[in-house]
Amino acid sequence: MLELLEPDQGLLARRKEIAAALAAIVPDGTISDEATLTAYDGDALTAYRQTPLVCVLPKTADEVAGVLRYAAREHIRIVPRGAGTSLSGGALPAADGILLGLARMNRILEVDYENRCAVVQPGVTNASVTRAVEKAGFYYAPDPSSQIACTIGGNVAENSGGIHCLKYGLTTQNLMGVELVLMNGERVRLGGKHAGDSGLDLLSVVCGSEGLLGVVTEATLRILPRAPATRTLLIAFDSVRDAGETVAAIIAAGIIPAALEFMDRACIATVEAFCAPGYPANAEAILIVEVDGMAVEAAEEARHIADIAKTLRASRVHECTSVEERARVWSGRKAAFGAMGRLKPDLLCMDGTIPRRALADVLEAIAALAEKYRLGCCNVFHAGDGNLHPLIVFDVMAPGELERAEEFGADILRLCVAKGGVLTGEHGVGVEKKALMGEMFSETDLRQQERLKCAFDGENLLNPGKVFPTLHACVERGHMRVHAGRMPFGNLPRM
Amino acid sequence: MPRNEAEIADAVAGAMERGTAFEIISRGGKRNFGRPVAAGTILDVGALSGILKYEPEELVVSARAATPLAEIEAALAERRQMLGFAPADWSALFGGYAGGATLAGTVATNACGTRRVKAGAVRDHVIGCRFVNGSGEAIKAGGNVIKNVTGFDIPKLMCGAFGTLGVLTELTFRVVPKPARSATLALRNCAAEPGLRALRQAAGLPVEPTGLSYLPARALVASPAARAAGLASDDGAALIRVEGGTEALNEKLAILRRIFAAFDVATVEDDTALFREIGEGGVFVGRATDIWRLCVASSAAYAALQASKAQFWYADWAGGLLWLGLPADEETARRLRGVTAQLGGHATLMRGSAEARARLAVFEPEARARLPLTAAVKAAFDPQRLLNPGRMVEEL
Repeated sequence: MLELLEPDQGLLARRKEIAAALAAIVPDGTISDEATLTAYDGDALTAYRQTPLVCVLPKTADEVAGVLRYAAREHIRIVPRGAGTSLSGGALPAADGILLGLARMNRILEVDYENRCAVVQPGVTNASVTRAVEKAGFYYAPDPSSQIACTIGGNVAENSGGIHCLKYGLTTQNLMGVELVLMNGERVRLGGKHAGDSGLDLLSVVCGSEGLLGVVTEATLRILPRAPATRTLLIAFDSVRDAGETVAAIIAAGIIPAALEFMDRACIATVEAFCAPGYPANAEAILIVEVDGMAVEAAEEARHIADIAKTLRASRVHECTSVEERARVWSGRKAAFGAMGRLKPDLLCMDGTIPRRALADVLEAIAALAEKYRLGCCNVFHAGDGNLHPLIVFDVMAPGELERAEEFGADILRLCVAKGGVLTGEHGVGVEKKALMGEMFSETDLRQQERLKCAFDGENLLNPGKVFPTLHACVERGHMRVHAGRMPFGNLPRM
Repeated sequence: MPRNEAEIADAVAGAMERGTAFEIISRGGKRNFGRPVAAGTILDVGALSGILKYEPEELVVSARAATPLAEIEAALAERRQMLGFAPADWSALFGGYAGGATLAGTVATNACGTRRVKAGAVRDHVIGCRFVNGSGEAIKAGGNVIKNVTGFDIPKLMCGAFGTLGVLTELTFRVVPKPARSATLALRNCAAEPGLRALRQAAGLPVEPTGLSYLPARALVASPAARAAGLASDDGAALIRVEGGTEALNEKLAILRRIFAAFDVATVEDDTALFREIGEGGVFVGRATDIWRLCVASSAAYAALQASKAQFWYADWAGGLLWLGLPADEETARRLRGVTAQLGGHATLMRGSAEARARLAVFEPEARARLPLTAAVKAAFDPQRLLNPGRMVEEL
């Protein structure tokens, strides 16, 4: 179990007063009764729950600024929240802090086809951006699996990816600008409808900062014209290794598929029992490959991929022939999380990324770890970019299972780093993986990141207890002496 | 001249004790881009050169910071891959020899070319780096895989930071497959307004253009590549480049010809030199004029152009980037910043005398609320202002 921050008893005792002050800033959106607050006690990292001191739901950037200014003055922690779909605990409240819910700021402010962008408030859901522009033939590319619920504010905070990011990029590649409210209540604009920004590219660190640097109150998103043709292939293999080799061979052939998804035997069986998408029985692994572009382009790439798969011993190569069939094939992939939920009440979804060549080795090692920890694990992931999503199923009520699941998950991530990969490809560090940051970064590396955090939020009030394994005060900034910072080879990762 | 990262860290640590600042260079080709640096000592990282790891099947390449761009491009081309942002070598623009650009210089100045309109800027392709900060510490940030959200995305922050946050020592990029072919549909003899409008329209088409540029008559005459393409005597040309296999390319060109049927069109089959020249500001090489680059929303391009009063200019990124031959003086700075105040965007003095670059704000002045943030970020990396002090903002 991870330890949560020790709450400040003084603040806990001031709940009424703080709620009253917030109600003066946000008149119809302050929640302070225990029963209602329970609805905001966590996110999709379900093992951790924490009721916030107060929840406030502003409707304007001015109100957000007012809340932050008040919190800075009173030295109260702030946890921003979109829809609460984070898998890493990014929106886990602080017991003595204000939960700042942005869901009521849910308007699409402008769709600008001439400049191919949409300007939206942070509480707009990911899927509704595409819905707003699809009639004109456009869409918003990042498509995390929670896209019906998750919000753009959360997507910016987590730099969300999805199925199509190998070809079309993560949120950071599709984000043109934001309005950001700083912890001191100042509103700044980064980027916009024009290309790039003058000065330092602060937008690039704000995106993916997990709510540690500021609160996004508006985002300008790139929208793309929908490709005229899409082709979807369902490919089955008798061996995981062959599936892995096929992935590498597709990329080596110079093809960047719009999507390239992998599911292992355990996952196929569970999903098939759940929603019968028609996956081949007895396959050790399947790949769902989607290519898009001009009609001739998509057809040529689909043919090429089918040839590669057959050469690498695919047991079945099937191309979807109708929109309905394509939707059915994807339904299984998208339902994977839900289907696993039937096996055991709790789910831990890991998110490491590895170099593609290590796929088969890592999957074998994960299978061995599953035996060691006596827990079920299914593998479903974005194979094209090596982003694994091993799903560990467990029961939090069964003694010891949560601890075993967490240790299992941590071992998987250590394995990813040891193979040249990273801890998280798209879910964020949050509270879930902060203790593992040392696997990837040295103390010096992490101090540099913390100093960047301090530049935005010198009192460490924004989304505290996330990302960094230990919280250092910001005061040492700018006063470091040579002897303190300089250690020969101090930057080498300690395995 | 430091030979490796450890020696750079030593040099910076030594400078901390003495309080002496550095001007960081690799080949120095773009030393005259940005404000003159207030430092007496040069930190030459040119020795940190060479590809460290290139794994074509992983779509990733790592190299030491001062590796020549040409070396990387050649290695990638052998495996039919490339850097997706079409790096621009601006050495010749500043009077150096073409081909002198290094990776670190390209990253530090955010030197991306025509493909930005589809593929993004340098920052969209840098996935990891190592650098020495202003406290003499060697830092790793990012990773070696494309999809990574572990910690702040500091490698992207280094792009366009002009060496003011750290001395880059290693860089890791994602790479993309090289398209089989490319071709450009030129809309010939079209005036600036309809030309820019056509580029905007093309940007919204699913043919995925990777080059959307407009060259007026004076720029076409000055362009050797336009001459080679048979466009030199045109009275303005809008250029739409598409890529793909032979069949896909033909389909894309057919769509463009249908949509732009009202224009006098020609197909340019060999367009590599043309777009390289456009990305590198080639028509300004050897021309005495100062240069400003104005970035606005595409839809504001024509209004911005008119307000700029530029006589010699061209447009890239579907009008989102205007290269303007205008003097480096107060009046021009005021005029262009008036344009950005009204239309949004930013104006940068790309080329001008050292005296003018010291006097004028080379980069768009930051909003009041943002300047303290920029100062704090600078201090988080370089608290004593030892690295390229004053290069971007006089006080930082």
